Amino acid sequence: MRFADIRSGSRAKEAPAMEEVDKILIHALKQVGTEVPEEINSVKQFSSELIVEAVVRCIRVIDPGLSSTLATSLPPGMSARFRVGMSLAQACQDIGYKGEIGYQTFLYSSEPEIRSLLMFLVEKLPRESAETSDQPTGKSVVLQRTIAAAIKAHLAVPWLPPKCRLPLNCETQRQGVMHSFHVQPLSLTNCTKGSSKKHTKEVKDYQRDVLSPVTAQISSQASVVASILEQHTAEISTAQEWDNEWNNQGLLSRFTPQEYCLRKFTRLHKRIEDQLRSAALPSSHSAFGVSRSTSDLCELLQAFKGSVQPGHILTKGTHFTHTQKFNFTQEVPQVAKTIPTNHQSEGDVQLGQQEELAYLQQQFQQLCSEVDHLAADMKHMSVTNAQVLDELKQRELRNSEKEEKIQVKKKTIDLLPDADNNLLKLQGLVEASAKRVVNLASQWEKHRAPLVDEYRRLKDICSSKDVESSKKLSEIKSLHEKIRVSTEEAKKKEDAYKQLVTELENLPQDVSRSAYTQRILEIVSNIKKQKEEITKILSDTKELQKEINNLTGKLDRTFAVTDELVFKDAKKDETVRKSYKYLAALHENCNQLIQTIEDTGTILREIRDLEEQIETENGNKTVANLERILEDYKAIRQENASLAAKVREG
Amino acid sequence: MELSESVQRGLQSLADQSVFDHGSFQVLVDVSFRSLLSSHGDPTVLGQPEFKQIDQILLKQSHTAAVTFILEAVKQNADQSTISSSLEELTFSAERTEIFYSAYQKHKKDLERLLASIGRGLPHITDASWRLEYHMKNGQVDKVNDPFYLISLNTENEGSSEDINFTCTVEQLQDLVGKLKDAAKTMEKASQM
Repeated sequence: MRFADIRSGSRAKEAPAMEEVDKILIHALKQVGTEVPEEINSVKQFSSELIVEAVVRCIRVIDPGLSSTLATSLPPGMSARFRVGMSLAQACQDIGYKGEIGYQTFLYSSEPEIRSLLMFLVEKLPRESAETSDQPTGKSVVLQRTIAAAIKAHLAVPWLPPKCRLPLNCETQRQGVMHSFHVQPLSLTNCTKGSSKKHTKEVKDYQRDVLSPVTAQISSQASVVASILEQHTAEISTAQEWDNEWNNQGLLSRFTPQEYCLRKFTRLHKRIEDQLRSAALPSSHSAFGVSRSTSDLCELLQAFKGSVQPGHILTKGTHFTHTQKFNFTQEVPQVAKTIPTNHQSEGDVQLGQQEELAYLQQQFQQLCSEVDHLAADMKHMSVTNAQVLDELKQRELRNSEKEEKIQVKKKTIDLLPDADNNLLKLQGLVEASAKRVVNLASQWEKHRAPLVDEYRRLKDICSSKDVESSKKLSEIKSLHEKIRVSTEEAKKKEDAYKQLVTELENLPQDVSRSAYTQRILEIVSNIKKQKEEITKILSDTKELQKEINNLTGKLDRTFAVTDELVFKDAKKDETVRKSYKYLAALHENCNQLIQTIEDTGTILREIRDLEEQIETENGNKTVANLERILEDYKAIRQENASLAAKVREG
Repeated sequence: MELSESVQRGLQSLADQSVFDHGSFQVLVDVSFRSLLSSHGDPTVLGQPEFKQIDQILLKQSHTAAVTFILEAVKQNADQSTISSSLEELTFSAERTEIFYSAYQKHKKDLERLLASIGRGLPHITDASWRLEYHMKNGQVDKVNDPFYLISLNTENEGSSEDINFTCTVEQLQDLVGKLKDAAKTMEKASQM
């Protein structure tokens, strides 16, 4: 019977499948923290203590609130065990287990119940793995992770007091002499970008022969390192800033990089000049004598100029201080003369020298002041000279104008005597010149029109070229973007690949996923095959049933027909009556046979069902459990008796 | 690793077989490491006989580039794949990359120590001694009955040790201990990230 085959086949396949399930369960329980001894391979071998521990740990992970009252081990006393079993059952039901569960599942366990309970709990375990596998992340997170790993490594090294330190600890626990981060400028052989043409021969010779290598340019080792790092970072950041600026503003301005730089330089230079000028001006605008320089820039400039000292050394000032000095120069020579009166003391050689020095200084100052006088005078003279020249020019201009007017008046006076003729002539002249003007204007128009058209045409072309070039620029920009984006993506993917490879190496190797997937696929194909076989059997059964129905129908009809026929003849003939009796008996017996066969079939089915039930019941180890229950019952009675005795005593 | 243009150019000329042959490449690598680790800068470090054939300006550029690359690699604690990929991008042959990396491995610890010595450090506490005193009376109040602690912390900074002495009440000491515990917890949390 194919049915039997299929049933036994499926049961034979159940056993190894159950092994796999048990392995998965045991592995999951080990991850939760249950200590499963190595020899235990299947749920059948779990003892009650192990079951309780596993279930409590699972509940702790699933729902920490529920498990606050549960302990992982069974208490020795029987009533306490009973109570623990009840609370565990309650907790499992709270989590959502739908099957039948009570204290008996834990204390007197049966394999299928335990298996289904453990499977339910393991399913409910939160999937921590899904949360920790983050997307591979950016540079800052990688940096933080390396920092965390380094801190962890340092924390793992035990601290030792200074006298006992090994070199291993010295790195993190002893502190050597620290240097501060001090940067000094370095001279490098290629200071400006791609500028090898700009360096003169002398500079190149210096770099070749005299310039010392980078590490020898600064005396302190720490400063060398600091300076090199600083230099490098400065180069990288200027390059980045230039890239940024060029991509955002430079491309738009349509200049070449050099032109753009030049324009920017001149712009900034102009701005600086303007600022300095406007800051320097207020010092000469102090109309009310209150020269308070309010801005820092003014103060800085004042410091550069140096305050005007009515004494020893006259500083070299700018235009403005010279104009101020005009007012002060009268006072200077008087002050200068008072200086030599201080040095009157004993006739020492030094004093004599000092006197001479003072005298020479005074002379020098006098000469300086005279020079300044003369310079001032010269300036004055040149200013007046310029003024006079100006006036002369103006007068000459006016003269020429007046001469012209005189000429015109003279001519008109000449023409007066012959007034009418001259008037006519003049009119004719005027008309002729007017006509000439009109003529010239029309000629000019003729020339102008095509030129204007040409100009317009060229302007259109220019603007269309502008449009095209801006389109091309935007295309270039988008291409740049795409290039940048794809390089970034490629880098990210490589990083992600590296990270995932390291994570894969770090993953625990004991449970292989491929074995699981293989088993799952096998089971799926098995189930498919079984389903096919079942459908085949069903169709076979249907066929058989149809045949049976057909045959019984045929049998009944044949019997009815024969019965009638024979009965008709049976009234007349004796042999026919006998044959009729035989026929009836044959029909009866055959019916009985069929009935017994059917009964045998039903009984066989019942036997098989009962055999299955016997097997499952055997798996329940009911006898052992009953014995244990009896023992525990006796133990509880003893405990009760002892507790009652205690109560009575005390 | 990001490198500036001048460093890239210097390294490319270093990788060039026609400029630096095998022997001079090896010598330049050694010289670069040595010049970083020696405590006094030696101007004659590039005066090796192998370098006589090479243009001095190019030599100095390559030396600067190599030194900068080494410092950046140590600063970022670069592993082998990063260094090899950076060098290969700059047209270094596999053999030269190998030579460079083995020299880097040899001197990495010393360079790390050198870089770690730049910065500021606070003194480390190595020992503590305490004394509990009980204040019974003083001139103004007849009954004071206050315990307080005299604590002396022995600290060490850059090899020289120093004592920090202070007194505190019980609450202040509890506060201090609480803060120390907080600090320890923060360190553990930082290491979990």
